[in-house]
Amino acid sequence: MNTLIKLEIQRTLRNKKFMFFSVLYPAGLYLLIAGGASSTEVVKGTGLTLPLLMMVSMASFGAITAVLVGNSERIAKEREKGWVRQLRLTALPGRGYVTAKVASAAVVSLPSILVVFLIAAVVKDVRFDAAWQWFALTGAIWAGSIVFAALGVAVGYLATGDAVRPLTFIIYFGLSILGGLWMPVSTFPGWLQDIAEWVPTHAYAALGQSIELGNAPDVKDVAVLVAYLVIFGGAAAWLYRKDTRKA
Amino acid sequence: MTTTARTFTGDRHRTAPPVVSFTDVSKSFGEVRAVSELDLQLHPGETVALLGPNGAGKSSTLDLLLGLRTPDSGRVEVFGTTPQQAIARGKVGAMLQSGGLMEDVKVRELVRLACDLHPHAYPVEQVLEHADLTDIADRMVNKLSGGQEQRVRFALATAGANELVVLDEPTTGMDVSARQAFWGVMRAQARAGRAILFATHYLEEADAIADRVIVLHRGRVIADGSAAEIKAKAGARRIVFDLDEYIGEGALRELPFLSSLEVSGRTVRIQSHDADATVHALYGLGLYPRNLEVAGGPRPGAGVHRHHRRRDR
Repeated sequence: MNTLIKLEIQRTLRNKKFMFFSVLYPAGLYLLIAGGASSTEVVKGTGLTLPLLMMVSMASFGAITAVLVGNSERIAKEREKGWVRQLRLTALPGRGYVTAKVASAAVVSLPSILVVFLIAAVVKDVRFDAAWQWFALTGAIWAGSIVFAALGVAVGYLATGDAVRPLTFIIYFGLSILGGLWMPVSTFPGWLQDIAEWVPTHAYAALGQSIELGNAPDVKDVAVLVAYLVIFGGAAAWLYRKDTRKA
Repeated sequence: MTTTARTFTGDRHRTAPPVVSFTDVSKSFGEVRAVSELDLQLHPGETVALLGPNGAGKSSTLDLLLGLRTPDSGRVEVFGTTPQQAIARGKVGAMLQSGGLMEDVKVRELVRLACDLHPHAYPVEQVLEHADLTDIADRMVNKLSGGQEQRVRFALATAGANELVVLDEPTTGMDVSARQAFWGVMRAQARAGRAILFATHYLEEADAIADRVIVLHRGRVIADGSAAEIKAKAGARRIVFDLDEYIGEGALRELPFLSSLEVSGRTVRIQSHDADATVHALYGLGLYPRNLEVAGGPRPGAGVHRHHRRRDR
């Protein structure tokens, strides 16, 4: 099992295109959006400056890239090629494959979070009153990414072949934009704000924003994320079992 | 054609519990009955060939045996338990045609994974050597040729001390020397007391390797015995025809029920123990045989293709 996780991590690190997209791209996007923004002016309705707001958004975005995009495409492809079938002929327990995928994605998502923090701290001078906020932020964003890892597994077992990439990207960009990861939700028209409130990425980013303000995460956001985790995890488990019966 | 002839079950194994046991197993895919009321028993130490043309139910039978599919009715037991449990205990090694490989990893890394997952694993370097992979151990898996990939699959199937090795048309894509090396290793495994079950559509291969041949047709066992018995029963018929242009022997070797093949110029001479199926498959390959002749009924089984056998041994 550990060898499988290690191997999954190793091959992800070897995939330069993927590493660029999940680790460097969110940090680059941060510089692009927040690079020239004021570090004192507060964004309407958030209580946070743009550099602070975007730091959480881009760290969340990077973590989602690592766990959602990486997993869905890989799983779909490996199912198609028969690697999943081959693994079922080993003593690896049934869920080992998915567990290894989620675990290795979690390892890769950590640097994408930390690189954004580093860039924000160095370039935009982002500081907190207390050091615990950095740790809490990292922990919350990292732990929250499990919701999207489950979604990635579900998509990987749902789609095959040519369909998986467009489907992944529609979900990925759709969730990122609707949840306000690319621009604050407060800039949306009212009706869209009402929808955005119930999107998992919005609740995900809100976790980090609460911590930045020195507060505990909102109960509603946590509840929304847990609900999505149940939905995505349930879908992933159901699709996984369906696929297993089909062999 | 539905009577089951069971003339050979290996008396020496009668007392030991069976390695594999199918009891009245059926499996359909939509309208197609892939496996039909199959009863089958494999005993320790046997080397058994599952023979039949494409669509006879060989792969479905192996999938059921390995627990990749569940039967509609009947029971499949492997070492007295479910296929999944037998695999989890490291008793079964399998090499499938449809088994894909992990990409973006080196051959050695993948073999190490297989060894790590096996409860009774051999040392990695030994597995690599037996599968003739030592020279390409540092190559990326996705850069391998078809035959090399097949050797990697073989390495994954033999990463540890299994008591049963299951192989689905294992030598597809291998050249003659790789084929010989492959069966050399399998014979050593058989001598070590392992049961081996392999699917093939080659009587020649079944004859050279197996001490028991089970012939499947439309998901049923239609014959079960030693290779010599099967050959005598089926009888070899000669098929002779001309082709408009020379085509390589390789494509023709894929024909089912072949027991020998000879290509001289545009003329092809085949011996088959199911001439109807062979000729049917010939058209299936998109070939148009001219001056087609099918001759001879049952011939004395032995000696039909002795020169082929010698080459393989």
